Amino acid sequence: MASNLIPAVDPAPLPGPPWLFHVLWVVTFTVHLLFVNSVLGGTVLAALLGTSRPANRASAQLFVEVNSWAISFAITFGIAPLLFLQVLFGRFFYTATILVAWWWLGLLGLLTVGYYLNFLAKFRLRAGKGAGGVLAVEAVCFLAVAGIQVVVNLLHLQPGRWERVSDAPWAALADPTFVPRFLHFLLAAVALAGAILAWAAVRRAQRGGDREVARGMAAIGIRAALVATLLQLVDGFWFLFALPEGVLKAYMRSGATAMVPLALGILAGVVLLTVLAGVSDPLAQGTRVRRAAELIVGAMLVMVITRHQLRDVYLAAARADEQLAVAPQWGTLVIFLVVFLLGVAVTAFALVRAAKDTPAPGETAA
Amino acid sequence: MDYPIWDLAMGGGVLIGTVAIAHVIVSHFAVGGGIAMAVAETVAVRRGDAALRQLCRRTSLMLILISTVFGAISGVGIWVTIGLVQPVATSALIHNFVWAWATEWVFFILEVATALAYYATWDKVRPRTHLLLIWLYALAAYMSLVIIQGIIAFMLTPGRWVETRSFWDGFLNPSYLPGLVLRTGIALFLAGSYMTFAALRESDRVARARLVRLLALFQVGGALVAYGGYRWWEAALPEAVRALFLGSSPLLGSLAATRHLVLWALAAYLLFALFALLQPRLQRWPVAALAMLLAFTSFGAYERLREGSRKPFVIRDVMFSNGVLVSEIAPLNERGILSKAVWAAREDDGTVQGKGRAVFRAQCASCHTQNGYLSIRRIVAPIDADMMGAILESLRDDGQAYASGAILQQGHAATQGLNYPFMPPFVGTAEEMEALAAYLLALKPATVAEVSHGK
Repeated sequence: MASNLIPAVDPAPLPGPPWLFHVLWVVTFTVHLLFVNSVLGGTVLAALLGTSRPANRASAQLFVEVNSWAISFAITFGIAPLLFLQVLFGRFFYTATILVAWWWLGLLGLLTVGYYLNFLAKFRLRAGKGAGGVLAVEAVCFLAVAGIQVVVNLLHLQPGRWERVSDAPWAALADPTFVPRFLHFLLAAVALAGAILAWAAVRRAQRGGDREVARGMAAIGIRAALVATLLQLVDGFWFLFALPEGVLKAYMRSGATAMVPLALGILAGVVLLTVLAGVSDPLAQGTRVRRAAELIVGAMLVMVITRHQLRDVYLAAARADEQLAVAPQWGTLVIFLVVFLLGVAVTAFALVRAAKDTPAPGETAA
Repeated sequence: MDYPIWDLAMGGGVLIGTVAIAHVIVSHFAVGGGIAMAVAETVAVRRGDAALRQLCRRTSLMLILISTVFGAISGVGIWVTIGLVQPVATSALIHNFVWAWATEWVFFILEVATALAYYATWDKVRPRTHLLLIWLYALAAYMSLVIIQGIIAFMLTPGRWVETRSFWDGFLNPSYLPGLVLRTGIALFLAGSYMTFAALRESDRVARARLVRLLALFQVGGALVAYGGYRWWEAALPEAVRALFLGSSPLLGSLAATRHLVLWALAAYLLFALFALLQPRLQRWPVAALAMLLAFTSFGAYERLREGSRKPFVIRDVMFSNGVLVSEIAPLNERGILSKAVWAAREDDGTVQGKGRAVFRAQCASCHTQNGYLSIRRIVAPIDADMMGAILESLRDDGQAYASGAILQQGHAATQGLNYPFMPPFVGTAEEMEALAAYLLALKPATVAEVSHGK
């Protein structure tokens, strides 16, 4: 019955080779996830820390300042993977979103409220006021956004659950992998935000900032990353073994291409733990703090690949008879690739120039 | 059609329209605001005009808060809503224009990065660097309009794409350039309108009048460009589309009224803009607010007109608003609509009315709700069984006309010759049609039925 509910393949051919869509999807999704994790983890940490103690306040202020850029980039970098997802798996994705339509639509409201609250927190903190309540509501908004994304993701992978969710939308939450999957992303986000905080504190101290405050910020960041990574190791295995039996078996049998990224991800987590545990004085161990941040980014990259491979395993049966016609639009594809390279170069040039340009003594500033 | 149907009392089309109009008003400001601020700051730097510089500074926060936050989220919102309400059409558009959208996305990145950097670097960088940022922003924002206009215009006038399926035939379609000129004018006058509020906060009266006059130039120029673009756009439409809202007896009276609203609101707005140009010292915020309201009205009405002109299609000449393809009519008349509409078919409980309910959800529910927007219960109330049969037969005949190509004129469906020119045809077997009639008649309130029979 369930397989009959899968909409037909779009009759229009794919306008490019499927492998290219997969590559572009993984690359753009990774960048999107870096910003998402920085925003989610940063907001949660800021809300938990509050603004009463100087180091906590400085940490919260750093996160809201970073967020006022990172939220925009998270949204903008989310467009490309959403586009490529729709090209390759539109019939699964659209169905999942329609089944939880109000939640999916509500995501927009939560994002808008969360983003404006971040600006409110930013201006309040700059004015020396408190922002604990604002940060708490902002964190709730972004946690709900993450939860909705996980629900839609799990639903588009499992057409067998569609009929039940269609009759009772709350059944969308009844997936045994929902909680460990949600925690998996949340803990990764907190670990990344912790590493960003510690690294920013190290840089602040190196540039002559208040060392006591910087030391406090770095300690908070390292502790947050350490605790999140410890919990992640437990949750990661919970998530793995909570996968549907057929999916887990098929995934484990899919050979080195699947096992290597998974093993690398686990290894990165274990190494990260030892690196973080070895940080006793973050301001004096700047290189070690940077290594921790690099390891988290590396682990995220391989986990994105694993996530992508897992989708294929989940949908293998549903796509068994899928016949995708391909008719590449080479001209427009080349235009996109050229504009993409130029766009990245011009954006980087503009941002570097904006960061480094300063008026000479006596010269007027803009 | 073969997707689940989201029951929305306000109607899916209204939801899309609401999100889309909110987004386009903001996004056109983002485009026009970039150009206006780039010009204004360039002039400010060259002339050493502190008041003009301050105007740009005040506007830059508005640009961030409205454009990069609300604009970005509501832009994603359009995708979210069309994916929920029109998944088949969304999929078709993405398959044809994915590289155009991906290219537009690159410009979004440049747009967001330069907007944020522009706001963050006041008093921190040299004027040349600041000008570079705003000109890059203006370029990126305008390029996003240049690209998205191709896809928006395609849905109304796919042109030669219908035969060739070539990306460029679809993108550079007949209403592409006229629509681009129109939207450029709209972007400029919206920017002038918004920025006038920032100008009115200038405390120096002489400087304030100077700023208001400069912004009035954008408004007058933009309104004239928009008017020219609109007339060109109308001229570029196929005859069948124009017949809906133009001529001595337009097919859709509400659309004809909307067209009048577009033009009269624009004309009234132009008068306000001319007033600001000629008497800038007398400009006050209530007058500016009224002018902006007229600008929104004209623009919003144009968007409503453009969307309404597509009836009964979502992609003209290709796909109806219920997701049925013109090319599918003949095979679905053979096999039945429920052979494809797998989600709607779940409503078929084996009874005649159950089958009818399933057919209704497959073909009608994308526009008609039961009791809310375009309520089918209200529509069928005065209709008796004979009339219902005749209506559905006529709609089925319309389908034959589409399928056979009998109504094609210069490659476009001449819908004005049909029984129901702005409704998708009935598609399906005779048994499905009878079931639909039975289901619709059962929706009639008993009292209304009696009154109807009594007459």
